[in-house]
Amino acid sequence: MAKITYVDWGGRSTTVDVANGWSLMQAAVSNGIDGIVGECGGSCACATCHCYVDEARLRELPPPDDNELAMLDLAAAEVRPNSRLSCQIKASPAIDGLVVHLPETQG
Amino acid sequence: MLHFDPYSPAVDADPFPYYKRLRDEAPCFRSEEAQMWVLSRYADIVSAGQDWRTYSSASGNMMTELPNRAGATLGTTDPPRHDRLRALVQYAFMKRNLESLAEPIRAIAKGAAEGLRGETMFDFKDYSAKFTVRVLMAALGLPSGNEAIVDEDTVREKAVLMVQSDPRTRSKGPEHLAAFEWMRDYAATVIAMRRADPRDDLISNFASAEIDGDRLDEREVLLTTTTLIVAGIESLGGFMMMFAYNLGTYPEARAAVVKNAGLLADAIEESLRFNTSAQRFRRRLMRDVELHGQTMKEGDFVCLAYGSGNRDERQYPDPDRYRISRKPRGHLGFGGGVHACLGTSIARLATRIAFEEFHKVVPEYSRVADQLAWMPSSTFRSPLVLELAVH
Repeated sequence: MAKITYVDWGGRSTTVDVANGWSLMQAAVSNGIDGIVGECGGSCACATCHCYVDEARLRELPPPDDNELAMLDLAAAEVRPNSRLSCQIKASPAIDGLVVHLPETQG
Repeated sequence: MLHFDPYSPAVDADPFPYYKRLRDEAPCFRSEEAQMWVLSRYADIVSAGQDWRTYSSASGNMMTELPNRAGATLGTTDPPRHDRLRALVQYAFMKRNLESLAEPIRAIAKGAAEGLRGETMFDFKDYSAKFTVRVLMAALGLPSGNEAIVDEDTVREKAVLMVQSDPRTRSKGPEHLAAFEWMRDYAATVIAMRRADPRDDLISNFASAEIDGDRLDEREVLLTTTTLIVAGIESLGGFMMMFAYNLGTYPEARAAVVKNAGLLADAIEESLRFNTSAQRFRRRLMRDVELHGQTMKEGDFVCLAYGSGNRDERQYPDPDRYRISRKPRGHLGFGGGVHACLGTSIARLATRIAFEEFHKVVPEYSRVADQLAWMPSSTFRSPLVLELAVH
């Protein structure tokens, strides 16, 4: 279990308990957080679950693979050094308390 | 003693009381009839859907799988191969890339709806079948009009037969296998046509696609194309039948969406939750799993009962009520996890336009029969015939 805080483009913050193994995309969608779409269901094939990870903790996450980096190029909003696809980040106690910011649009 | 037989006509007709008992009394249940475990709670299904390393699709995803199909389609491949294949076709189904299809879809809907003008009673399938086949032909770039190589009714008939199963033998019957072969031959002909004379369409692109410099396996091209055609026609058609069934059953919901077509999108989401046509898919365990006091063994098949997860009171309050204002986020109407439906955006778009145009011609209607003939299928659920009376 990890507590994850999603901050939408307007600054509204929602904290969710995410079960181990669930992706941050899935937890957002199941909890009605609108700034994450997840059109492809989590197979790293659409870039509509784009998020910005708290920079201070970015290095605690397993790094993105080539497929995720290629897909991030297709994200509708600005891509930054701390951009990730939330379907590729899995919850575990190691990321408890992580804050992710959501982009202006998912396209 | 609790039983759950997904082949039973009683489950085809109304699976929901069975699901409720499974969720409450045996959330990890061994069905002897189906020879597989059944997961029925929302949280368990979502967890399994994401954990593809444990819950593999590589041995097939339909409850009753077709021969020699597993491992060669999106739905029957695990990551990382699945994700690479999916990325090749996902672009064509992304919401932002579908805008150009909206007008052709509307023209198809208008044409099909005109055929109903003046009728006092009709089978909704007459509308949904015509509409879905033409929309899929446009979306996939299948030969149509002067170029058509098969009859529209035949494609639909075969697609619907392929997904059925025999409730007595609990397997595919000869008619289902023959339909599968017919569809595979049709897909092969289309692939050959597009290779000989490529166009800017999905099948032309997919048939020549590469992953890391390697051409796709021929079986992947053929069976993925076959599945796209069938999933498009049968799943979209089946869902439209279920949506019409709901609107024909709940007059307040119908009146609301006819008065304000802007509410159709929400009504579609609630229908996807309430009684989506894609009721159950299966996975196979890659390791032993303990869940709710049961031990499921490596190699065992597991049914993910999406239709039950969508009625789980642990996730959705008052789940047996059809309430179009519900906005059921995270529903499993398109499945879940890495194998969630590829066509979610086109399904939403096409259904919304289909009903906008349908309601312009037939705004007031209700379901005629109390008892319906349901499709015999362990995976999908929709009525074979849906008679509507025009008021």
